[in-house]
Amino acid sequence: MVKFLENRKRVFWEALLLTVVVFLFGLLIGIVYESSKSSDMNEYYSVSELSLMDIFALNSLVNVDSEDCLILTESNLDFADRIYEEAKTLAKYEAAGKITKEIEIVHKRYDVLRTFLWINTIKTSEKCEKDYSTVVYLYEYSSDDLTKKAEQNVWSKILSDFKEQEGGGILLIPIAADSNLTSLDSLISKFKITEYPVVIIDEKYVIKDLSSVEELEKYLS
Amino acid sequence: MEPITVIYLIYIFIGFYFLFLFTLIYIQNRKDLYYCPKPKKNYSLSIVIPCYNEGATIERTIKSVLEAGYDNLKKVIVVDDCSKDNSYEIIKSLEKKYSKVMAVQTPKNTGNAAGSKNYGAKFVDTELIGFSDGDSFIEKGAINKLVGFFNDEKVGSVTCSVLVENKKKFIERVQAVEYKVIKFSRKLLEFVDSIYVTPGPLGIFRKSAFDEIKGFDESNLTEDIEITWHLQSKGYKVKMALPARAFTVAPSTLKDWIKQRNRWNIGGLQTSVKYGKDWFRKGMLGKFILPFFVLSWVVGLFGLAVLLYRILRILFLKLVSTTYSIQTQTSLVRFEDITLMPNVLVFFGLIMFFLSLWFTLLSLFYMKDENRKGENFPVLSFYMIFYVMVYPIILISSFYKFLRGHRKW
Repeated sequence: MVKFLENRKRVFWEALLLTVVVFLFGLLIGIVYESSKSSDMNEYYSVSELSLMDIFALNSLVNVDSEDCLILTESNLDFADRIYEEAKTLAKYEAAGKITKEIEIVHKRYDVLRTFLWINTIKTSEKCEKDYSTVVYLYEYSSDDLTKKAEQNVWSKILSDFKEQEGGGILLIPIAADSNLTSLDSLISKFKITEYPVVIIDEKYVIKDLSSVEELEKYLS
Repeated sequence: MEPITVIYLIYIFIGFYFLFLFTLIYIQNRKDLYYCPKPKKNYSLSIVIPCYNEGATIERTIKSVLEAGYDNLKKVIVVDDCSKDNSYEIIKSLEKKYSKVMAVQTPKNTGNAAGSKNYGAKFVDTELIGFSDGDSFIEKGAINKLVGFFNDEKVGSVTCSVLVENKKKFIERVQAVEYKVIKFSRKLLEFVDSIYVTPGPLGIFRKSAFDEIKGFDESNLTEDIEITWHLQSKGYKVKMALPARAFTVAPSTLKDWIKQRNRWNIGGLQTSVKYGKDWFRKGMLGKFILPFFVLSWVVGLFGLAVLLYRILRILFLKLVSTTYSIQTQTSLVRFEDITLMPNVLVFFGLIMFFLSLWFTLLSLFYMKDENRKGENFPVLSFYMIFYVMVYPIILISSFYKFLRGHRKW
């Protein structure tokens, strides 16, 4: 009888074993699922990286020729639009990524890419006459400050509206300023920014306070 | 991994564990769920009914005991705890009418059911002693299904299925669902010797065991939980006759419901503290019942604290974002932002929900002869989604009252 009861109480261990198996299986599925999302992003990234290299190559070949400048400008704008759209997809995947940090790494790689793009547009503007404005949005990716998060949330909506309104008139580059990228830090240092988020327009105006689309329009060249 | 994700995963793990535990116990013992042993002897039995202001129900309660059909029922001792209504007059009139009924009155109000029960127990000299609340009704044949368990001399008490009598109001119907889930779970716990309560509507005790532990603890708000733990600590087993049923009047208002749950929770805390020294000792009391109780408190309170923290953070974020969006005349809500991007936590949560739903439905529908009046889809949905989530809030008020020394019924 005692043995019979002991056998019955084995159910506590059986339940634990079953829980561990189901739990690990679930986690495994989660990891695979998140990995598939990050490999999707990696694919996008590879294509974007290739495009940027192409733009860089083009930049080094360009003569002060209006036709070449037109191609280079269009390439920059197209590329910026594409990675802006990819950034939106990335943000959605990031919200779903709970177990692994893979997506966060992809995010950082994109920040490098966007920094390259910013550098390239600066270089382009040295060679070619610009008919668009560069709008760089610098924010903090890993901030826990709720007020800052709210401010960034509203900034991203304003800039999304701004981009929609201006279309090819602006080249929007959102970059996480706390990505610990040496090139980015060096680039930002000349603007003497102490706090994020900020918006830099054409490397001339540093806008620290939240502004409406109408107010931003005034800064466009 | 973020701390909130880790907390969520720990909760999922605990939830899965208990769902699997109950499921496995059910699968392994489903053939024995209805088993009620035949009594080897005709045990003599007396039933004690505590009564305080139960004028509306006491007559029906007494009659249900008398008509339950147990042929060796010696006495039905009805203890009036100095009621302010006409309870005692009703009991006295029934005493004259039925020879087995004995009306007694406490010298002064004891302030809790345990006092009346112990007072009534002094008049009992039978092998078994049963207790039924003054607002509960025993189904015919119920007692006969309980007594056979006393063939095993290690059995100290036997309980039955407790169901809700009143099912008119929505709150009563939700409790009817809850009581069915509780009774099913309690029966499953019996298979691992872990029944933690012999509820008031009907519980029968071996008189020698009852005397050994000196009856109910009158300082405890849930004397029915305390006595069960006391018996377990002395090595007695507690059994449950699932087919035997007693019906009780559930609280009809939110205020009464909160009051009842506070009492249950405070009593549970009192009992946990009293037997705190028995962690991992004294059989299943220390190995499962006590840790299970404490864990449910920790999980409930901590979970609620985390949830409140998250909600407050989100509300603050929304508030500040809205303020900024008004300042800049920017819309925050966009159609394009509404996306369905599932993650592993959502999958886990869904599996958990459906497993819980399955267990609730199993509890409700596995007994084919039960009255399911009023247990419709809205009631079930409310129970599954809101009732279970609201319960931790009661834990906070109970915990606060417990710390403040609240010990009143």
